[in-house]
Amino acid sequence: MSVITGTDSRASDAALIQRIVGRDESALAEAYDRYAGMLSSVLNRILRDTQAAEEILQDIFFQLWRTAANFDASRGSLPGWLMVIARNRAISRLRRHNPAMGDELVENTVVLQSNLESNVAQQQMIGKVKGALENLPKEQRAAIELAYFEGLTHSEIAQRTGDPLGTVKTRLRSAVETLKRNLNP
Amino acid sequence: MNNGHPTREEDFDLYALGALEGDEKRTIETHVADCAPCAEKLAEAQGRMAMIALAAPYSPPPAGVKEKLMRQIVGSSTGRGGTFAVMPSKQPGVFAGWLWALVPLSGGFACALVFLWLHALQLDSQIEALNNRAQEQDSQIAQQRSIIDMLGAKDTVVVSLAEQKLQPLGTARVLYNAKRGLLVYNGTLPPAPADKSYQLWLVPTNGAPISAGVFESSEGGTDRITAQVPAGTAAKAFAVTLEPRGGKPAPTGPFVLLGPVS
Repeated sequence: MSVITGTDSRASDAALIQRIVGRDESALAEAYDRYAGMLSSVLNRILRDTQAAEEILQDIFFQLWRTAANFDASRGSLPGWLMVIARNRAISRLRRHNPAMGDELVENTVVLQSNLESNVAQQQMIGKVKGALENLPKEQRAAIELAYFEGLTHSEIAQRTGDPLGTVKTRLRSAVETLKRNLNP
Repeated sequence: MNNGHPTREEDFDLYALGALEGDEKRTIETHVADCAPCAEKLAEAQGRMAMIALAAPYSPPPAGVKEKLMRQIVGSSTGRGGTFAVMPSKQPGVFAGWLWALVPLSGGFACALVFLWLHALQLDSQIEALNNRAQEQDSQIAQQRSIIDMLGAKDTVVVSLAEQKLQPLGTARVLYNAKRGLLVYNGTLPPAPADKSYQLWLVPTNGAPISAGVFESSEGGTDRITAQVPAGTAAKAFAVTLEPRGGKPAPTGPFVLLGPVS
């Protein structure tokens, strides 16, 4: 049974950015259709607050509209950049509610090794990422999720789980080594 | 560090993950500020770690956000443009003699305004139609993603439904995930008699059969039904019965297809 069919004849991200820079509103709408689902999912997972997730989602795309000229598609990936911004904003929002969580994350250029421009590619990558995480040992996966979705550092994870700091560091290092092997094309 | 470079490549991933703190974090930040190759490695690590976002359960964007966004960008563009002001009326003066020319002009303006107003109404209607279509598409995409997630889930079972004696020939398969309460039926059956419908049932381990869809089937076609039942419903079997046109709340007709959940 095939659920996803059809060919992808849509504009590339780089072409969309160019059109957004040229104040083409339909290009922003297209970028929204392409990536809002991904961003909405991660925002809701982190914040567990649909109102806050909605505000940040809108704000991210408004930022894209205002600052698209600064985005260099040859140096970085649009979905990568959007996902980093979404996660950073969501974690920052959590930190406002919990100031002890630490200082602001830095937004950098983001390079994705995979193209996520089509729905098919996104679905394939979602399967790959879920598979890679599910194959991690339980404690490693839990540590990764605490770091990524809750924005916890090594020592905060140790405090949360009650595990020694060294153990947490070893788990996270092993986890990112494995993810790096499994997520690279 | 090795000549200032991090000795372990995973440090970039741990930084991108946000796990580093204190000196470990500052060391990376200070170093990449002046080291292009390491800045590139960090950008790649950012991308790798960003993909963890894709593991989040799918949550479709709320329907109104796109509309608000589009209004916001239109508003921000207008803000940069000029403003219209109502000018105070003036006493008749040197231009009063031009009134004969202004009267037909104002008539022309009035016609143009009516035309623009009608055009705006038409555009509003088109925008509303497009918004409705977008919401419908969002909903379809969300459903497709749920199905894709279900198909890939380890706890999804596949049940083959076999034809029953003295009943129409057919075959079907049901994919069912009890935890999500989601089922997908794919089957072929001859068209139902004129006054009859086929009805798909989930037979739970406890309680009465649950209707999962009514269909008539077409010659040579494949029927596909996606249905949501209460999450956590344990299924004993799936069945298709022949019912009066439109279906019934509980099965009354003969079993056409039946498949136990092994």
